[in-house]
Amino acid sequence: MAKFPSVAWFDAVRNVFNSDDKYQGAGGGKCDCILGVKVGKDEFLVTFEGFEVVQAEKTKNLGAADFFLEMAPADWKEMLKDIAANDGATLHYTLNTLDLDREEGLSHSLHGDQYREDLFFRYNQTIQFFFDASARVKTTY
Amino acid sequence: MSDTLDMQLDWMDRQGEWGTQASPGKQGLTLADIQVGDYGETPEHSDNMTGRPRGAGARPDSYRIGGYSVRSKHEIWLDNASFLYEEALQRQWSSATDVPWDTIEPLPDDIEQAECQLATFLTEVEFVAGDVPARWISQTTPDYFEPRNVLLAQIMDEARHMDVFRKRALANGGGLMGATGGTAGVVGSIDLARDFTEMSSRLHISGEGAVLTIFRMGEMMAYNDAEKMMYRLCAQDEARHVAFGVMHMRYMSETAPERREEIECYLDEAERQILAGSQNPAGAQAESSESMAILLGGGKDKYDEGVNKLIAIRRRQLQEYLKRVRSAGFGDRFDNGRSPIKDMIAAAAA
Repeated sequence: MAKFPSVAWFDAVRNVFNSDDKYQGAGGGKCDCILGVKVGKDEFLVTFEGFEVVQAEKTKNLGAADFFLEMAPADWKEMLKDIAANDGATLHYTLNTLDLDREEGLSHSLHGDQYREDLFFRYNQTIQFFFDASARVKTTY
Repeated sequence: MSDTLDMQLDWMDRQGEWGTQASPGKQGLTLADIQVGDYGETPEHSDNMTGRPRGAGARPDSYRIGGYSVRSKHEIWLDNASFLYEEALQRQWSSATDVPWDTIEPLPDDIEQAECQLATFLTEVEFVAGDVPARWISQTTPDYFEPRNVLLAQIMDEARHMDVFRKRALANGGGLMGATGGTAGVVGSIDLARDFTEMSSRLHISGEGAVLTIFRMGEMMAYNDAEKMMYRLCAQDEARHVAFGVMHMRYMSETAPERREEIECYLDEAERQILAGSQNPAGAQAESSESMAILLGGGKDKYDEGVNKLIAIRRRQLQEYLKRVRSAGFGDRFDNGRSPIKDMIAAAAA
């Protein structure tokens, strides 16, 4: 049982992600980026290195993130509940769809460098796999 | 015994640097790990016309193998070619088994026809995207094998994109629609580029940047998990190709500033034509833009709704292009009035 959002929750998810090879195939695989996650006022950095998520930490500065995903706590909860109920995001709750559905987008950066922001597109399936892995983590809010 | 005496063994004296011991890192033995000693030295200019692998001993009196026209490093280099190549290898996917084709169900006729029209157009586009870099691989000296390898991987990606859209067109009671000819004009002319950077600016930055946005938006046009997955995985590959273009242009800008004006001209041309014209499926091209509007709206009767979404796509496409060109080191053009992109974004927002 882990509470979202918290470092403990991200650690639980990365343990699932790192221990299952299925997340490395089917469009997943080598991924090197720092993902930021912003849930209301809470901010986290999640570091992808090669085939693993090596670290999750709380932060007060998302400047180190190549890109960060920002939604209101209620929207994160809705997405994670969909993932938990369906063992992965369904049609309307994938990260890419959520990004496109919002006028202001889901993915942002503080640096404005599109090369780094494009990592969200380049590694989209891996980032999706990461959040899909949360289906196997009992989550409270 | 006499056989042994007849051996020449002079080849044993002709070798590259000896005693190297490259070690694998956490991600295996990557190209970055073998950039050791002389093998990691990339010449600024290459006189290697014999296909000699970089670092290998020269073969005296060898005849020419390649007609390599790309022999200056700045013409093709980028700082992260090894990285992109390893990433391309690791992130391959199968259009046969990684797309959940069993999730496709019969769709209304207008939706199916629109999906098939878009798939036909994208198949046409991917032919060009595969053919064009292929020509430049054989033109590039083996001393610059890292970018060559990325381009080889790109061709594999484009082959998969061609086949996945063809599969989609044939998978659900429809088929290929009429060829749009959308690749006959400017997109086709990418192949006429006389210089690698000219080609890359047109193909990787303008063309594939625009198509990347379309692939991403494909998830909004998807009616099932198969289409969603198909577009998402294509977008990943496309983003890698765009990354090649951005990083090459950045390298060129930093190492050969005398060529900046020339590159500005390529961007002028791209902004006038590829991004604005009929070759952009989110632009004015009738068959593909109408089909996208039908898919986005949810049918012919919701066409206007779809057009509004298409305009939003177009705005994003232009914004992303602008930021990529900035990232490549050519952002001044948006501030000094040379580029019409800011006006185009404003028009798309009006």
